[in-house]
Amino acid sequence: MKPPSFRYSSPATVPDAVALLVEHAEEDARVLAGGQSLVPLMNFRLAHPGFLVDLRRVPGLDSIRMDGDVLVLGAMVRQSAAERSAEVRVAAPLLAEALGHVAHPPIRNSGTVVGSIAHADPAAELPTVALAMDAEMTAVGPQGERRIPAAEFFQGPFTTALASDEILTEVRLPPFAGGHAFVEFARTHGNFAVVGVAALVAVTDGRVTRAAIAASGVGPTPVRMTAAEEALGGAVPDSAAIGAAVDAGTAGLQPAGDLQGSAATRIDIARAVLRDAIERAAERAQDRR
Amino acid sequence: MTAVERPAAPPVRTHKADRRWVGKSIRKVEDPKFLRGRGGYIADLVRPGMLHAAVLRSPMPHARIVSIDTGAAEAAPGVHLVVTGARAAELTGPLPDFGPDPTKHTWRCLAAEKVRYVGEGVAVVVADNRYLAEDALELIDVEYEALPPVTDPEAALQPGAAMVHEALGSNLAYARQFDFGDVERDFAEADVVVRDRLRWHRSGGQPLETVGAIADFDPATERLTVHTNSLSFTSYMFMAAGALGVPMNKLDVHQVPAGGSFGSKLFVTKPFVIAGMCSRLLGRPVVYLEDRVDNISNCDHHGSDRVYDVELAVMRDGTMRSITIDTVDDYGAYIQFGVGHHGNALAQVTGPYTINSVRYRVRAALTNKNQQGAYRGFGSEVNNWMLEQMVDKAARELGMDPVEIRRRNFIPPASFPYFIPSGNVYDSGNYAAVLDKTLELADYDHWRAEQARAREEGRYIGIGVISAQERSVFSATEFWFWFDEPNAPVTSSPESVTLGVDATGTITATLYSCAFWGNSPETMVAQLVAEEFDVDPHSVSIIYHGTAGGLPATGPGGSRTTVMLAGAVEGASAKIKAKARKAAAHLLEVDPDDLEWTEGGFQVRGVPGQRKGLDEIAAMLHMFKHSFPEEVESGLEESKVFDHPYTTMPSADRSDLGVFYPFMGNACHVPVVEVDIETGRVSFLAYAAVHDCGTLVNPRSLAGHILGGTTQGIGTALYEEFVYDEEGQLITSSFLDYTIPTAAEMPEMTIGHIETPSPYTPHGIKGGGEGGRMMAPAAINAAVNDALAPLGVRVTELPMTPDRLRAAIRAAGQVSSAAR
Amino acid sequence: MTDLHPISLTVNGREYTLAVEPRRLLVDVLRDDLGLTGTHIGCEHGVCGTCTVLLDGASIRSCITLAVQADGAEIRTVEGLADGAVLHPLQEEFWNKQGLQCGYCTPGMLLRACELLEQTPDPTAEQVREGIASNLCRCTGYAYIVEAVLAAAPRMRERTPAQTPTETTGAQA
Repeated sequence: MKPPSFRYSSPATVPDAVALLVEHAEEDARVLAGGQSLVPLMNFRLAHPGFLVDLRRVPGLDSIRMDGDVLVLGAMVRQSAAERSAEVRVAAPLLAEALGHVAHPPIRNSGTVVGSIAHADPAAELPTVALAMDAEMTAVGPQGERRIPAAEFFQGPFTTALASDEILTEVRLPPFAGGHAFVEFARTHGNFAVVGVAALVAVTDGRVTRAAIAASGVGPTPVRMTAAEEALGGAVPDSAAIGAAVDAGTAGLQPAGDLQGSAATRIDIARAVLRDAIERAAERAQDRR
Repeated sequence: MTAVERPAAPPVRTHKADRRWVGKSIRKVEDPKFLRGRGGYIADLVRPGMLHAAVLRSPMPHARIVSIDTGAAEAAPGVHLVVTGARAAELTGPLPDFGPDPTKHTWRCLAAEKVRYVGEGVAVVVADNRYLAEDALELIDVEYEALPPVTDPEAALQPGAAMVHEALGSNLAYARQFDFGDVERDFAEADVVVRDRLRWHRSGGQPLETVGAIADFDPATERLTVHTNSLSFTSYMFMAAGALGVPMNKLDVHQVPAGGSFGSKLFVTKPFVIAGMCSRLLGRPVVYLEDRVDNISNCDHHGSDRVYDVELAVMRDGTMRSITIDTVDDYGAYIQFGVGHHGNALAQVTGPYTINSVRYRVRAALTNKNQQGAYRGFGSEVNNWMLEQMVDKAARELGMDPVEIRRRNFIPPASFPYFIPSGNVYDSGNYAAVLDKTLELADYDHWRAEQARAREEGRYIGIGVISAQERSVFSATEFWFWFDEPNAPVTSSPESVTLGVDATGTITATLYSCAFWGNSPETMVAQLVAEEFDVDPHSVSIIYHGTAGGLPATGPGGSRTTVMLAGAVEGASAKIKAKARKAAAHLLEVDPDDLEWTEGGFQVRGVPGQRKGLDEIAAMLHMFKHSFPEEVESGLEESKVFDHPYTTMPSADRSDLGVFYPFMGNACHVPVVEVDIETGRVSFLAYAAVHDCGTLVNPRSLAGHILGGTTQGIGTALYEEFVYDEEGQLITSSFLDYTIPTAAEMPEMTIGHIETPSPYTPHGIKGGGEGGRMMAPAAINAAVNDALAPLGVRVTELPMTPDRLRAAIRAAGQVSSAAR
Repeated sequence: MTDLHPISLTVNGREYTLAVEPRRLLVDVLRDDLGLTGTHIGCEHGVCGTCTVLLDGASIRSCITLAVQADGAEIRTVEGLADGAVLHPLQEEFWNKQGLQCGYCTPGMLLRACELLEQTPDPTAEQVREGIASNLCRCTGYAYIVEAVLAAAPRMRERTPAQTPTETTGAQA
């Protein structure tokens, strides 16, 4: 299991990197960040990029910064760096919590937050977090820079709105004043989740004022659970309201059955995980007050 | 039961009481090299000019190979050779196969005319390195004509099913029914018949190191030198030599440490033959080392895959009278070990219980899957699970306590040696003592109280209690007693050791098989030698001999290593001591009979000053020829070929299979689990296990094997399965989908030992390497069933994945809950 | 052949300058080019952890890391743990506790444990279990590995060399 041959460059600027993607488009040029998804695919010979553009030498891409109240993570921010970052814990505690579920520390030491989002594995944690947080992805291509909202970014399994000559340079995470929870059900520790739920719940005067919930493992992309959010809106987050939100959130789901579970089992698990996530986020929202 | 004339048992041994080294948990002598990363595994060896082979795997489960175009691959950079399956069939013979009618399901190193499972090799490329070899694989163009896949073992046996091997005329490779004792009478007299249908799916050893071989053919001498991590390199390689057409005396196979096996590196002749074939064509060393996908999808060793229909005849008081077992076993596309897995089951088919009679019907089905081989337990673990499931079901139907029904049926300690209906003997045991100690370690009463309390809270805690057997030291007869007219009714399974005391008095032990795979043959031998000669075990040097010039040996398998090495060490030591005694007597000018062995030397009985240490004796024997009578040969080196201490022949009509697995361990496992009924997750609250494998050589290392085997059993019970879909595609071809438990899934385990020495082996040792996995699946299934009893759910299929548990819980009418 | 890229690696304190094909995996460069065969290959898709090494102090899977990605990095492999004849406290405790059987996962497990104890010098058993869940062991059932890591923790905190020099003799109770 060795990767196929490719050519390689590690440019010093984003424009240079984009130029390389354009120049080598016919060779199926791809961007390399941590490589924790791409290199295994190449080892399996399921990916045959003819050219890899490594972002490791581009200065600044490993920065974690605040742009006003928006947390911005560059394309080379390793998952473990984000996990340890005080800024991330304060500005995006949901992301911090989810990072603890991403594979294992040795993978997180190499893998990047943005790379995982760009890879768009429907079972992965970080795309789900991006969707729940209404993240924006900054893409730079030959035509310049654009921002893609998470709701438009994930288009299918391993398929995103990113063009093949664009580079995802950063993810922008707006603030959420409220409680958070990331809960997942995985067969074994560090394994891909069967179902994962990212939940944000804001509570004022005992009632839910805003909820943002997304789930992995219940569709071809992470799924925003709008019906559950609406069911919670204005409610006292007690067990009845949460139960109603779970019913609403899982009512229309039609997950594909696979090795890890039939559609029915995935929904069963999604119900339990969704309930736990809302409960915990709501509790934390109360605590914040 | 039919009266059987039985050969006499071997003489009962008296075991040494004051052991100095046997029984000590010393640090293992082989560990430092592994701790420093200097293991010297197969991948670490480099031969000058060595080339690398990679195998093209079939993406089709069942298809005719219409054509293979290798032109582009042959022209690719760095490629030296491409061999298709058809060409390989001209260059090599079939691989060794102990199955019935091997010519009707011929197994080759690469598929020749058709492929029979996803992953089967169709061609091999040899290139300068593995990268280039894999590049060339992508350039090979194979045209397949798809055939209907055969995936369900029972459907495979129906008329009209597509045939995996046309020459066989059906997919039924083997069928036989054995009756041991008067089954009809026992069932007629029984109060209750408990019935069930059980399903055990396939998993496998999956060691972290794959299988490989480096073959180096010298065209000048026509000698083939092979380094391999096969564990069977001594005893079975003559068959590989046969497949390659190399005379045995031109073949030299060297074992290298194996990074785990658990059965999966027994034989493994395929990499050996592929590397050998390529090296002979090229006249250069060639390594073929499987990658992980090869090791999962194209290995020789998937584990058992059985459907059972079982009936257990019981009396109202819980006494078990008889059992009828009807099993279909999905062997996959080939059947290299025949149905030896069921021989293993028959070694302990009635467990620790006094069951009078047994009917055992087995049908071996061929399907479009990777073939079965060995996985820790070799089919006996499946029997343990099946029997304990039936005992629990009987207890439930009779309203008995699961502990009580077992206790009532135990073979009592005074009854040993005890012949079970199949004809195998249990040498010794104390099953109630093992059970009692386990219940105590498990804090059984506490957990029963906890369970009651939890049920009131709507939590589902379960406690499993199983008592089962752990056969050890196989006899060769189990591989052929299945057949009325076996092809090769061999009866030998020896193990050899040479001990040498050099001129400075240090001791070297040479082993002729018993390859290392984590089973510590080096530490075992070092402790046994230390026990004989009163030396520090860490001072004993251990060498593995290659096959050329080697002594007869069989290799590990069936938990035989320690017992067999102990016999060989004992025999070689006796010879050394006999020579040393004569030499010492000559030097001390006393009668040999006046000497006694004490503290590392011979001394005149009662005269401590009058002695010769082994080092002095060795120095004299090596260097001072004229100090001894003419007939005394120089040096102090002796060998022992130790044969299996207790096997007997099966009866001609096979109503009695003879003694074939006599050194019978026993264990009790008590896991405590909690089942999350919403998600189907099983987690452990506690786990206690007590094993009795006779006398322990290194208690901590045995406990380590129990822990490791139990962990694999947890995998079998909850996580691991090679899944083929209905189209025959293997959907678990990597560690992404074949789920191996991590440290985070492990329970805190409490391990205990009982030591009931075997009367027939050195020091009373029994084999113990497989025990954990032979018990855990049964125990965890029992615990889960106990947890789910209030819901009326009983799980009869392994592994108990969340999906299977949720399906069973849903079927019992438990919808998933939302709010708490 | 494909173009070669110059890289420099500092492995166990020694600097190497190499020219590698960009597709070469770090584990292959360590094993085949530098002869450091203590880093083993288990699955080549990043799941089992057998190939774990420390890169700038952080554990990584060298089977899904390209050697060019490690250019300029400081790498520690199992060969860099012992100080000559003296075993590293983790090696010593793995030996004492029988934290290995076949030894194949051991180098990766040792390096992961090293990182774990540097980040969590006084871990609970639960933290160790969760920490080493990144690395599969098929032999031991992990229990004795956890014991070994816990036993090594105070010795590593003391940051003194191994108290008992490694000898080839001696029983352990």
